Amino acid sequence: MPQPPDFTTTLDVQLVAFSQAGDMIAFEELVARHRDKIYARAFSMMRNEEDAIDLSQEAWVKAWQRLKQFQGDSSFATWMTRIVINLCLDQLRRQKRTRAESIEQLDEELGGVERQMPVVASNPTEGLERAELRKRIDKAMTQLSYEHRTVLILHEFEEMEYKQIAKVMNCSIGTVMSRLFYARRRLASLLQSLKKEQQS
Amino acid sequence: MNTELKLQALLDGALDAREIREIEAILAQDIQSAALMQELKWMKAAVAGNEAEVKLPETREFYWSKIERGIAAEAKQAAAAPAERAWWLRFIYPATGLAAMVAVMFVVSGGRTTDGADTESVPEDVNAISFRSEAEAMSVVYVADENGTFNPVGQETKNEPEADK
Repeated sequence: MPQPPDFTTTLDVQLVAFSQAGDMIAFEELVARHRDKIYARAFSMMRNEEDAIDLSQEAWVKAWQRLKQFQGDSSFATWMTRIVINLCLDQLRRQKRTRAESIEQLDEELGGVERQMPVVASNPTEGLERAELRKRIDKAMTQLSYEHRTVLILHEFEEMEYKQIAKVMNCSIGTVMSRLFYARRRLASLLQSLKKEQQS
Repeated sequence: MNTELKLQALLDGALDAREIREIEAILAQDIQSAALMQELKWMKAAVAGNEAEVKLPETREFYWSKIERGIAAEAKQAAAAPAERAWWLRFIYPATGLAAMVAVMFVVSGGRTTDGADTESVPEDVNAISFRSEAEAMSVVYVADENGTFNPVGQETKNEPEADK
């Protein structure tokens, strides 16, 4: 009985080429290599394990169908990440339509809330170990609305420019800048609160 | 763009040289703007590279099995799609042809409709008009005199049914 090919040392570009030719074993290797990253992006946006698993798997199915469209302009991981981001945004928009907005969320959308927040005078992350810093940032980000959290993720973690974020989120560059500004100000305020909690 | 967003744009490297000079001048003079800029810098530095590490809570095989099923289901659906389309395509072509025929007839008739009742023909370049009534089963021809007045020619003709003659 012939052994299945071993793709463990094959480069991504070659695996993509094999997959584009219909080789599902090569595609499975790509899934295995990048599944954590794709799941992590879905989880950071959805903040829900079940949704993140479902959407990341849906992203892989979509990727298989659209593999012929992948021209190699970016890395395969970046291309995959864009697919999962778009799926998460679609899902978050659907969820938002079905739930009532809180007054705070409406204030956030209208803007101006950030101007009422006092400026944080001392660095709320100073002296923190990296693991603790990551934990606090993650905790604070769960308290942001999905629009503010997403802008922050796309700008800081995916290193996307304002224009690219506006395109992905289907909004103006001004809205992106405003959301990013609010997200940073709110994050500073939340991290300061966490610091005070720790000290008391 | 307001000053606050310009401060952020400066931090993110999204300003041109002239805007940078403008906003740096503001920062040098305004303590509040400088404090806000410092807060934004702290947050950018804190967040960058500090995303929480998350691992997929499923095994490679289990995770892949659902993807594999999803791909198979999509392929099955794609194969079935032409057959599903075929039934309505059988109707769409005749319906389109019929609609086109009605449209042509409408254009040719000049948009007029008749109900099979009385019709009158009044050509502009002749000095005679005709009138026909289906209900009365008769036709009348009028010819204009030198004054342009229309008068019936001879007697009005009434087409009696054959049995009445």
